[in-house]
Amino acid sequence: MKFKHLVLGLAVSTMANSSVFAANGSSDPIKIAINEWTGQHISAHIAGQLLQKAGFNIEYVTAGAVPQFAAIAQGNLHLQPEVWDNNVGDIYPKAVESGEIVKVGELGLQPKEGWMYPSYMKEKCPSLPDASALVECAQVFAAPETFPKGRLITYPADWGTRSKDLVENAGLPLQPIAGGSEGAMIAELKAAYAAKEPALMMFWAPHWLHAELDMDWIELPAAHPNCDSEPEHGFDPGKTGDCGFPQASIGKVVWKDFGSKWPGALKLIEAMSIDNDTQNTLMLEVDNNKRDLDEVVTEWVNSNESLWQPWVAAAQ
Amino acid sequence: MSSNPGKFWIWLILIGLLLSTQFIGSYTPWLVNYPTEWVIPLTGILNAMMNWLVETTGWLFRGLSDILAIPVSVVQQVLQWVPWPVIVVLGGVASWAASGWKLALFSTLALLYMVFVGYWPESMNSLSLVLISVPLAIVTGFGFGVWGFRSKRAENIIMPALDMLQTIPAFAYLLPILLLFGFGPVVGLIASLLFAFPPMVRNTILGLKSVQAEIIESGLMSGATPRQLFWQVRIPTAARQLLLGVNQTTMAAVSMVIIASIIGGTADIGWEVLSRIRKAQFGESILAGVVIALLAMVIDRITYGFAGQESKEQSSETGPLHRHRYLLIAIVSSVTLFILSSFIPALREWPEAWVVYPADGMNRWLENFILNWSEAIGTIKTIAFFYIMLPVKVGLVDTISPYSWGFEFTPALKLMYGLAVLVVAGLAWFRQRKSLSLVILFFAILFYFGLTKLSWLMLITMASYMAFQLGGRTLAIGTLLSLLFLLLTGIWPQAMLSVYLCGIAVVISFLVGGFIGVLASEIEAVSRIIRPINDTLQTMPLFVILIPFVMIFKIGEFSALLAIVAYAIVPAIRYTEHGLRNLPADVLEASTSMGCTRWQLLTQVKLPLALPIIMLGLNQTIMYAIAMLVIAALVGTNGLGQQVYIGLGDGDFGIGIVAGIGMAIIAMVADRFTQGWSASRQKAFSGND
Repeated sequence: MKFKHLVLGLAVSTMANSSVFAANGSSDPIKIAINEWTGQHISAHIAGQLLQKAGFNIEYVTAGAVPQFAAIAQGNLHLQPEVWDNNVGDIYPKAVESGEIVKVGELGLQPKEGWMYPSYMKEKCPSLPDASALVECAQVFAAPETFPKGRLITYPADWGTRSKDLVENAGLPLQPIAGGSEGAMIAELKAAYAAKEPALMMFWAPHWLHAELDMDWIELPAAHPNCDSEPEHGFDPGKTGDCGFPQASIGKVVWKDFGSKWPGALKLIEAMSIDNDTQNTLMLEVDNNKRDLDEVVTEWVNSNESLWQPWVAAAQ
Repeated sequence: MSSNPGKFWIWLILIGLLLSTQFIGSYTPWLVNYPTEWVIPLTGILNAMMNWLVETTGWLFRGLSDILAIPVSVVQQVLQWVPWPVIVVLGGVASWAASGWKLALFSTLALLYMVFVGYWPESMNSLSLVLISVPLAIVTGFGFGVWGFRSKRAENIIMPALDMLQTIPAFAYLLPILLLFGFGPVVGLIASLLFAFPPMVRNTILGLKSVQAEIIESGLMSGATPRQLFWQVRIPTAARQLLLGVNQTTMAAVSMVIIASIIGGTADIGWEVLSRIRKAQFGESILAGVVIALLAMVIDRITYGFAGQESKEQSSETGPLHRHRYLLIAIVSSVTLFILSSFIPALREWPEAWVVYPADGMNRWLENFILNWSEAIGTIKTIAFFYIMLPVKVGLVDTISPYSWGFEFTPALKLMYGLAVLVVAGLAWFRQRKSLSLVILFFAILFYFGLTKLSWLMLITMASYMAFQLGGRTLAIGTLLSLLFLLLTGIWPQAMLSVYLCGIAVVISFLVGGFIGVLASEIEAVSRIIRPINDTLQTMPLFVILIPFVMIFKIGEFSALLAIVAYAIVPAIRYTEHGLRNLPADVLEASTSMGCTRWQLLTQVKLPLALPIIMLGLNQTIMYAIAMLVIAALVGTNGLGQQVYIGLGDGDFGIGIVAGIGMAIIAMVADRFTQGWSASRQKAFSGND
């Protein structure tokens, strides 16, 4: 019920200004977007609690992953500390380009994307995690409707078609099937895991799922910026566009007038950085140990003062 | 179409042309696949128009948005401030007044469920959105309804617009609303308003029109002014129909709660459902989804109850204490509970420790089910996939292979297939079942080549000719233009994928649903079991059923198909049962006294008599199936539903709205076809008498 607790607390309430600092900027609440997944909740709450320490008023507002960009552009939301550029459509790059929303640097998370499989698949296909397994064990990963090709679940169609392109360009014996939505992809993995069935899926980390299910990554050829023009990179030295996936970027995003209204807060957000370990540890506490999100974040903030003290100081 | 020999030959020629086009198509591909160079870039034009609209009139919409946000937040805060026992009691008393103690018990238990499971605050946030959008929708709908009643020209504009509003999936117009009105709960409010007001318009026009001329005359004779005639004669006489409109509008508004949550900004129960689904938490999402279903059922029963009792209310001549007894009970108990709640904290906020949340058990149950049944399920799925879905989609030509059917589709086999089809069709023709032979020929070609690979040119020609036969020139032109829209905007391939999925789903839903409906009409126990299941399937947010379907049947079109069936089967069951149960008693008695067996009575008397209503059920089944397409896209399909998400994800208004209109077009063409067919069947049936 921790999520419930969270929405309750944040729905409309504005946190009281209890800090010893005087805020460098307007006393209007900074509205922080809350998306639908735990990792983002943690980043948002760390940002929120630190902003409060620096004397700002904040408010958490629930927002869908796509509509939030319209909201930030219009100034109805002001801060979204964790934006993944891989699983939103063109709406995000378009809004950044037009200057309606501003990216103030990377959050610090090191994301990974690629094709992953449940670790028990290693028994059925010993050449895993090497990419050669994709050819050798295609039939191990096959379902009746894709046989003799392996069944590869890709990102939903509205997140782009990178996996499908790679399969086609490299000529792999896989049949890409669009995942439909994040929920459907996770449901499929949970069910496959329960029945110890084969599964091969385009996915990403950090994600709470890795704390629950033991997944390994296929070692795809390294990404290369000129992969589309120079055939020597990737699977086949004779083909272009057959490299692994470049690293996604996770940015901190603010409203375009954020800096002029809350100059101190902008400094704090610019300085703030969260690494994979932090988010994974907190996510595990919330999702697996069913603890209250606010409590977990408060605990982390209390025991890591040396880390964030400079960020809050930057706000003054 | 069999009655006229000329039509038979035209159809035979059309089918012959289709077959030859398919073969010529390998040399001239444009005959089969519409070339992408011929597509009109409508999406770009639409986007430019939208940008212009936002730039020039954005301030107006934003202002409206700010004004509307005030009542939303006021109602929200009031509902959060009032202690839960007060609202539970008020709901119970309202139900009692509307229909009696049974409903009062149901409503009270339903509201208590929201408390015990710990979703009370979220439920109240959703309720506040409904409480604002319903009156707005009723006033808007009533206004348009009166206008449509007064002016024939207005009605001619309003009716097709209503069709569009109710068939374009709400997802397709979320983005334009977001662009115009800005982010926040108001977006959900507007979306819900757009979807909820059409039933009110329809019922207003219908109600006002059906006021009998004698009543109007007597009103005129007693010297009523036009204003009096309208407010004191027409409106009270049409009250029942108007209240039915209120009921349907309310239900539509509740069903939009979940869609509105996709935008966010409300922390309501819809958001809770979406978050759970995103994490694929089966038990949790069901528990939250049930809240919406219960909310819808309670509101439906209460408004429906008030709509039904309107007439008898006025006749009761009793004392003021008795007449206002419900109000008195409501006031007294609310005040008491208010006072009590200030002493007992559990009455203000349900303690978290007391929450009953059986999600883990439900999840374990599903996991066990999958473990035990995965093999059997896999077999069913493979059979359905190889022998039904793939042939319809890509044709036997591409389906049959050693991997799927266990053998190669050799030229000899193809020849045998062709001969077998000709023999069967010839037999039907020989037995004077000419239209049957045509149907066999057409579907044989369809199964051979696959729906997605049939020539657009011939499909459009055949559909338009069919429309001409069913509804005359107007329908033919309408159909032609509609299908040309799909073609010219470049969404024909996706549209065919949607038609394929919906088509199979409708056939399954109608056959299985019709069978269940017949059973339910004959056996009381079946009826009693099936009714609450139908209620739940209709009111539960459709997203919720996706998770268990994916866990059992995996990502892909099969899960999507089942999800569509689960929703579209409801009208097939309902209308069949309703049609069979409400037949004139004297006809049935006469048949029984003539010595009909129960089987004869059913097949030769009841089913033919109930046909018009069963056909209405088919019509609704098609509408439901198309409405489910967008949601089914969440488990991985490639049709128009997916296009809507691509539009949403790219912030591309044009793509989304074109796909949405495409779906509306398919729905409307299917609607007119079934109506036309039903009408012609009825004519044939009464002509035989």
